[in-house]
Amino acid sequence: MVKLKLMCSVSVAVTFSACFIVLVDANSWWSLAMNPLLIPEAYIIGGQPLCSQLTGLSTGQRKLCQLYQDHMQFIGAGAQTGISECQHQFSQRRWNCSTVDNSSVFGRVLYTGSRETAFTFAISAAGVVNAVSRACREGELSSCGCSRAARPKDLPRDWLWGGCGDNINYGYRFSKEFVDAREREKTFAKGSVESARLLMNLHNNEAGRRIASDLAHVSCKCHGVSGSCSLKTCWLQLADFRRVGDALKEKYDSAAAMKLNSRGKLVQVHSKFNSPTSNDLVYIEPSPDYCVRNKTTGSLGTQGRLCNKTSEGMDGCALMCCGRGYDQYKVQLVERCHCKFHWCCYVRCKRCSRTVDQFVCK
Amino acid sequence: MCTGLTRTACPLRLIALCILLSHAAAYFGLTGREPLVFLPGPFANEPPNGKAHLKQCEQMTLTRRQKRLCRREPGLAETLRESVRLSLLECRYQFRNERWNCSMDGRGSLLKRGFKETAFLLAVSSAALSHALAKACSSGRMERCTCDDSPGLQHREAWQWGVCGDNLKYSTKFLKKFLGQKRVSKDLRAQIDSHNINVGIRAVKSGLKTTCKCHGVSGSCAVRTCWKQLSPFQDTGHLLKYRYDTAVRVHSVTNSATGETELASPRRHSNTVPRPRPTELVFLEESPSFCRPSRYSPGTAGRPCSKDTSCSSLCCGRGYNTALHLTTLSCHCQVRWCCHVECQTCLREEEVYTCKKH
Repeated sequence: MVKLKLMCSVSVAVTFSACFIVLVDANSWWSLAMNPLLIPEAYIIGGQPLCSQLTGLSTGQRKLCQLYQDHMQFIGAGAQTGISECQHQFSQRRWNCSTVDNSSVFGRVLYTGSRETAFTFAISAAGVVNAVSRACREGELSSCGCSRAARPKDLPRDWLWGGCGDNINYGYRFSKEFVDAREREKTFAKGSVESARLLMNLHNNEAGRRIASDLAHVSCKCHGVSGSCSLKTCWLQLADFRRVGDALKEKYDSAAAMKLNSRGKLVQVHSKFNSPTSNDLVYIEPSPDYCVRNKTTGSLGTQGRLCNKTSEGMDGCALMCCGRGYDQYKVQLVERCHCKFHWCCYVRCKRCSRTVDQFVCK
Repeated sequence: MCTGLTRTACPLRLIALCILLSHAAAYFGLTGREPLVFLPGPFANEPPNGKAHLKQCEQMTLTRRQKRLCRREPGLAETLRESVRLSLLECRYQFRNERWNCSMDGRGSLLKRGFKETAFLLAVSSAALSHALAKACSSGRMERCTCDDSPGLQHREAWQWGVCGDNLKYSTKFLKKFLGQKRVSKDLRAQIDSHNINVGIRAVKSGLKTTCKCHGVSGSCAVRTCWKQLSPFQDTGHLLKYRYDTAVRVHSVTNSATGETELASPRRHSNTVPRPRPTELVFLEESPSFCRPSRYSPGTAGRPCSKDTSCSSLCCGRGYNTALHLTTLSCHCQVRWCCHVECQTCLREEEVYTCKKH
């Protein structure tokens, strides 16, 4: 579904200052995360009707769906991982990666090419790499198996290289095919806004995938005589997704502002700063004001958000509420306490309630 | 804020200030409603005579009484300059990692309100002034005071052995006269300002330490001379920064017994008298967040920060830009006999992070 809309650009960092028409897609493949595909067996039986029922896929993605029907469940799971990690990383900031509805997922916020958009694209691509690689290792997918990565050079000679590692290579390639399919099937005029946005999306997807594969590490298990480490087997394992989220958050903080040059390529706005590598995130427009609710930019505002009175950071009441002030409420928190282990073998806890102060932005 | 009885002279000072506004160093408002500014030194070219300080006294924005005191004491003008420099450096150093970094812009409007930052500025200026005065006395730059002559510490003997204690007693007495603190008006703001100034002076007093030197037979401590010495100003600055972090907010209440208005802080659990302690800084209203440019500060855009520690709080969530900087420094230093050090210059690339603008 494609919507035509007129959007005026008010950003300073971008070179275009006129009103332009932007073709934007209302749905996206993130909707796979919101509508969980609960019946994996259904894909084995001629997947064509099911693929066409999935909303939000572009034509190329739909073709891939029909070819790799069993992967779709993991793409949805990967997108869901990405979205929850995004919500965790941004829980203390004005825009907290909240999902709006089931079809467009994030709403119109991602129509601006801001830093938050860059982060979202990157982390969802990384989530897909994560999910597909792990699915390969667990044998859920028919077209891939355990990792066949080469033995790293710095591994000590006595250690065995084998085991069944996460197939990061396959996950990376599949994520690249699927996630970039939407961008690659369109061509725009050189020097137009859409081409800038396309280049930015491709760069950020690549950054997310690279960070997910770069953070993979060697993991070993000792299985010698009575569990000693005389015999050790090692394999390549994906990093915990929280670490990928932390690394991408750092890249978000140091993201580079870009613009289109005359030849249609993305270049830095201020050339005195370091150029971004393929691991860095880029953005083309400054972020909209997330303080107030705005239907055009899609910002939900910070009214009603919880804030922390004693904190000096972005989740402190001064910055989160944008100077509007906050209301104080007393809330009863009920939680488990005085937990005791009974033989054998259960734990019984009591329920304690305490009153805490909650601060809500006006 | 004009401490004392000089409200009529304030508009005149405003006019004088407009002329002098372009210059670098400024005082923090102890001597007038506006920051005190200095003219850079054409005094260096003048022949050194006893009259040079008169011209300096005239050009500073002081009240009439303060100018009279300045004229009477030749070393005072230089000491005032020194204290301004000291307080500026110390304030910048203590706030180097905070969003408000004690910059010159917005200082005037900040002094008009009752923020925590204003309290700190007043305290550090008065502390710097008393520190500089005490040191000037002991260095012999002032005519009307000399070494510390408080009884009980055998100071005549100390002077014999070549030691001169810092004269904090004279400094405190002189400051009371200079700042005109005998008359504290009923105005809430004036009370708060005078309280904060006293906090600064007390902070310097608390840093006064007795140091002793042993010079008996072959260096033993059979014979000892002791004197009082001020701690380095950085320690006082550190103490005042701690007081800034624990400052209390006050409002004004009328004492039912005496009928006078007093300062009262809201959060006291068991004390009967809810007055702020004489070592606590007090303020009237909550400070704004100094993230964006406003009339109180130029904002945090472009501030250098360090990636692991301060960038997240300084940049207020906007992120940072990375740039590579080539710095030269001395390396491979060697001692040559005799007796100088030869160093080579190395070029080093380091990453510099500055906060983004939006």
